[in-house]
Amino acid sequence: MAHPSQLGFQDAASPVMEELLHFHDHALMIVFMISTLVLYIIIAMVTTDLTNKYILDSQEIEVIWTVLPGLILILIALPSLRILYLMDEINDPHLTIKAMGHQWYWSYEYTDYEELGFDSYMIPTQDLSPGQFRLLETDHRMVVPSESPVRVLVSAEDVLHSWAVPALGVKMDAVPGRLNQTAFVASRSGVYYGQCSEICGANHSFMPIVVEAVPLEHFENWSSLMLEDA
Amino acid sequence: MLHLSARRVGSLLARRATAALSTSSARMASHDVAQAADMSQPMYWDRLDTPLPDKPFKDVLTAADKSLKQKEKGPWSQLTKEEKIALYRMSFCQTYPEMKQKTSEWKTVIGGMFIFLGFTGLVVWWQRIYVYPPHPRTFDEEWQAKQLKRMLDMRINPVEGFSAKWDYEKGQWK
Repeated sequence: MAHPSQLGFQDAASPVMEELLHFHDHALMIVFMISTLVLYIIIAMVTTDLTNKYILDSQEIEVIWTVLPGLILILIALPSLRILYLMDEINDPHLTIKAMGHQWYWSYEYTDYEELGFDSYMIPTQDLSPGQFRLLETDHRMVVPSESPVRVLVSAEDVLHSWAVPALGVKMDAVPGRLNQTAFVASRSGVYYGQCSEICGANHSFMPIVVEAVPLEHFENWSSLMLEDA
Repeated sequence: MLHLSARRVGSLLARRATAALSTSSARMASHDVAQAADMSQPMYWDRLDTPLPDKPFKDVLTAADKSLKQKEKGPWSQLTKEEKIALYRMSFCQTYPEMKQKTSEWKTVIGGMFIFLGFTGLVVWWQRIYVYPPHPRTFDEEWQAKQLKRMLDMRINPVEGFSAKWDYEKGQWK
């Protein structure tokens, strides 16, 4: 989760998110350099006493300020496309989970081996225990094994929703009548929070997502327990 | 009517020839000369980047002015300093230092900006007291402290972010 007044990204919990962080650093650095240059030029133009009314054209600088931005764009596009294709690599998921969006909660179905399904409602503020995070905690978390590729099939039962977990670098729209596939690998064990990312009615802000990545044995224990309770 | 006498044709051709010799207008091969007609009225201006206006500042000269203008036609070394200044002021309204003189406009702008910012601040303050609902209980000091501890226990953002700044061995911030 983000700490209060955090501006930057959360620490990456998946390899794809790590790539995105580094790409963002790269693109932002370019943006800062261009902005500094433009700001300098603006200040220079505004504070000078010199005038020149007779410039008609200059081919040399026109070439430079056409070619150089083109090169900069290529410098941004190449890493960007690399990550785009990286995200669509053929992976071999160990586990497939269906995340279904409802108004206003998520439901998760683990149907690879047994029929495990449960709903995940936000814990209302008045029911929180001291120290829990307001508007982020849910009664049931989506538990996944860490360091295992997980495929998530996202869909919706009523209106558009979107299943997003920033720390894992995942966001996928939940469209009624459609199965959208996304995948991630949780590099480290931990709890990762997200929120519904497509306006879906009155309680759109109150249907969070919590993914808990645990070592495999713990995951197996958890799924056995959940099946017993069901 | 269209019938031209030889004399008139001759004078027309002569005028055309002189026009071709003296004008600097654009001419394409075998086309007539194109001329840009400047139809603006002469006006006076004080501009840093265009020093010489269309006309002098003082249009109507008094008798004294006119006699000074006559004197100007002679050697300038015979003009006194005051006369030179008077002649300048006849042709121009402001001197260059006067044109470049800084104004106090920025004080008005910055002052107005701060007044509006201050007014906005007052509005926000009033809203905080009379409009906003009470804070949720998660904003209490005790809750925030427990939340912070829970975030550290859960190792939230342990790489470079939140938990990375906590020294777990010493139990204090790094």
